[in-house]
Amino acid sequence: MMTRNKTVLVALAVSCFWAASMSATRGGALEDRPLRLLQVVETTPAEERSEDAVLVRPVSLAFNGHLLLVADAQDCAVKIFSKDGSFVRSIGRKGAGPGEFSFPSGVCWLDGRICVADKFNYRIQILDASGKPEGGFRVGFAPDKVHAVGAGMILVTSNPTGRPVPEKMLHLFDKEGTLLWEGLETRVSGDPVYDSFKNMILVCPDGTAGFYVIFRSGERSLLHFDASGELLGRIAVDDRYGFKTVRLPFKGPQKSLLGFCWSAAFDRGRFYLLEPEPVEERDLGPGRRVHVFGREGRREAVIDLPRPVHRLVIDDGRIYALDEEGELAVFEVVT
Amino acid sequence: MKKLAVMALAGLILVSAVLFFPASAAASEVDGCFSEHQRCRENAFNLDAPWYQVMLVLTLCDLALGKCILVV
Repeated sequence: MMTRNKTVLVALAVSCFWAASMSATRGGALEDRPLRLLQVVETTPAEERSEDAVLVRPVSLAFNGHLLLVADAQDCAVKIFSKDGSFVRSIGRKGAGPGEFSFPSGVCWLDGRICVADKFNYRIQILDASGKPEGGFRVGFAPDKVHAVGAGMILVTSNPTGRPVPEKMLHLFDKEGTLLWEGLETRVSGDPVYDSFKNMILVCPDGTAGFYVIFRSGERSLLHFDASGELLGRIAVDDRYGFKTVRLPFKGPQKSLLGFCWSAAFDRGRFYLLEPEPVEERDLGPGRRVHVFGREGRREAVIDLPRPVHRLVIDDGRIYALDEEGELAVFEVVT
Repeated sequence: MKKLAVMALAGLILVSAVLFFPASAAASEVDGCFSEHQRCRENAFNLDAPWYQVMLVLTLCDLALGKCILVV
């Protein structure tokens, strides 16, 4: 009887020790694994740019592996650059006719064609790669960004209008302009300016048929939706990536904004979040540090850029970014 | 005859009231205020500036909307 009890005790002790050591190993793997610090080299071609190539107010980027699209809202044009950053051509001009734009604020590739959020013409335009209009459709709101998701579907985002009622910020259309789904309501607190910040979102297609939504402040989970708009899950981002707090004089009692991400990209199963950077101690602006996360939200690496950037797209270790001067910069990640 | 004069006078008052207060024009001007407000906000969202500046511009948009509606 005594021998049997001893055996049970030994077995219990061994299993406890094993469980404790496994847990420590797992925790250690997350906490202690050294963060890879990646450097970049700039490969932007130093070229004499024609007037057409100058970016006046670039606000959106899209890359298809060969050509980079830049929506220039002020110039009412989409400017096309090659893989190495050389200017190729500019399409569109100011106006309301086919192939003309009024504040193009979003751009994406859609099955080899160019899809543009033509904001103040309240429409989505589709053009071929040479800029020839190939249709489009009107929308009942000012479209902001466009993303190709699923089989030829277009996800359009809209900014909150400031009205004190919840509004939908995501709108999914087919190529003909049939509305398939609308969702992600604005969070309303009664202060339209504060709410504007709380509802700033970034969208990254997941490379298959779904997409991720990332709030720029106050929320550290990345929302994963499928092509029908169903919420598939929330990815909690590694705690080691913190918020950047900023106090702004909003209406009423003092509120803080928890800055999370200035810009974001998703490439080959990894999230790239651009960390906001403090500006003159009381403000937050675009940063120069990109944090790389795996699909499960664990931080894997940090990329330091030589200067702050506003927006970025990433393709297999190459970063296309818009810097503070509104210039296109191309960086190659070196390990 | 008296009845006719009263009706003509009432009609005249109604017509002048409609002409004096062009309701549809005022409504379209208010719509214009909201349209400008939206343009202002969309501009702010796409500034890509530090958040303090964006906050100031968004606040100015709201103030301009209030002023525009009061003037209309």
